[in-house]
Amino acid sequence: MRAAGLFAGSIIVAFAVWQLLSTVVFNPFLIPPPLVVFKTMVPMVENGEIFKHVAISLARVAVGFTTGCVAGITLGVILGRIKLVNELLDPIIELLRYLSPTAMIPIAVIWFGIGELSKYFLIFWGTFFIVLINTTAGVMRAPIIRQRAAECLGASPLQIFLLVVIPSAAPYIVTGMRIAMASSFMSIIPAEILAADSGIGFLLQQSSVLLQTNRIFVALLTICVLGFVTDRLFRIAVDRMLSRYMSYIALT
Amino acid sequence: MLAVRNVRKSFGESPHTYLALDGIDLEVSQGEFVCLLGPSGCGKSTLLNILAGFDQASAGTVDFEGAPVRGAGKDRVMFFQDAGAALLPWLTAEENVRFALRVRNVPKAEWPAIIDKYLEMVGLKEHRTKFPAQLSGGMRQRLQIARALAVEPKALLMDEPFGALDALTRRRMHGFLLDIWRRTGTTVVFVTHDIAEAVTLADRICVMSVGPGSRITEVIPVGLPRPRDLADPDAARVFKRVEGLLG
Repeated sequence: MRAAGLFAGSIIVAFAVWQLLSTVVFNPFLIPPPLVVFKTMVPMVENGEIFKHVAISLARVAVGFTTGCVAGITLGVILGRIKLVNELLDPIIELLRYLSPTAMIPIAVIWFGIGELSKYFLIFWGTFFIVLINTTAGVMRAPIIRQRAAECLGASPLQIFLLVVIPSAAPYIVTGMRIAMASSFMSIIPAEILAADSGIGFLLQQSSVLLQTNRIFVALLTICVLGFVTDRLFRIAVDRMLSRYMSYIALT
Repeated sequence: MLAVRNVRKSFGESPHTYLALDGIDLEVSQGEFVCLLGPSGCGKSTLLNILAGFDQASAGTVDFEGAPVRGAGKDRVMFFQDAGAALLPWLTAEENVRFALRVRNVPKAEWPAIIDKYLEMVGLKEHRTKFPAQLSGGMRQRLQIARALAVEPKALLMDEPFGALDALTRRRMHGFLLDIWRRTGTTVVFVTHDIAEAVTLADRICVMSVGPGSRITEVIPVGLPRPRDLADPDAARVFKRVEGLLG
């Protein structure tokens, strides 16, 4: 309750300071005051324009993130479990992971055009490496004692893998997914700015060309809220479904 | 029941091999309580890992009930010092025991009765829905014992199981372990570096020398009634003798 109060208080103060600064100190055209931003936002909400962009960006993130997680977890588990594969692929992964989604935009556009596929690919690219590296680390760090204890109780290799190793790696995997989620929201924007005809990034780009700073701020606010809400929902879902796998980290 | 003959264990590739164990001979009979005693780094845990089947001897043989040990076997359950790591922290006390029954393919209908029996035996019945993190160190070790006993192993291999507990809890755990050992008749091989612990628990104490190439230098039968009091002259004599061997 206190935390919620502080949170609301902090937001309100921030808006007040913003309002004050943009009207008194700075040029209100360059930094539109919050009241102007809200006034701009109302018709965009009413005619559904903002939701259209949000929905498109969200769909891109969802597809890229989901496929990236599936691929990253699958390969990460293999890398964590089979030493030879890890030794063979690790150098390549260590090099490729420095190619951020933004760095991949130009080639993605050539490969996949400016349609949905290039955006799926870019989000996938960003998600994949983060989830992969975290999953591999989690699987490799599943305590050997825990696996041996299960083994001498009679667990088969498959049971050790499914009932001991994967749950032990769960906190790492989930953490990786959460970081990847945040990174997805960051990388969808440049992707849409440079190569799209819809989405929040496109809204930013178009408003910039037309010098509509108020619309730019609407888009920026939307990104903040979108990322924040998604992360919170992700955390709530994890707490609901995986809390018993997450809460023990302090113990080991 | 457990026969170790001329076991040798070396690590690494030549010319950098380290000879950990050399010429280990050990015979443990059914229902016996044997302590492997030696200073840190003498290879007692290495030997225990070989007995469990986690590790292979470089030379020599290990037979369990007449058959050579190949890999971890369900009859020999290892018991670890770090219960927090050995237990499944995302399962409650009773779920940890249930996990053992599940992987052991015990018929489902028998689970509730077995779980009740062993949680009762280790005094954790009231705490059955707690997670390991919510239990004290001693309780976690008791849960590990319950989980091990639930699959009714023929031998318990214990690797300094109470080393991380405070002195008081450790003493309580000794009484508790002896009580369970008497009731179940399980064979116990117990690794420790604590002379008092060995004298308190063991039927026989196998004293190991410092590596490299450590071996069992002496086997001392304790032969005193339990519970033992170290202030008792007979127990003190055994203690002195072991101390002399290690010093």
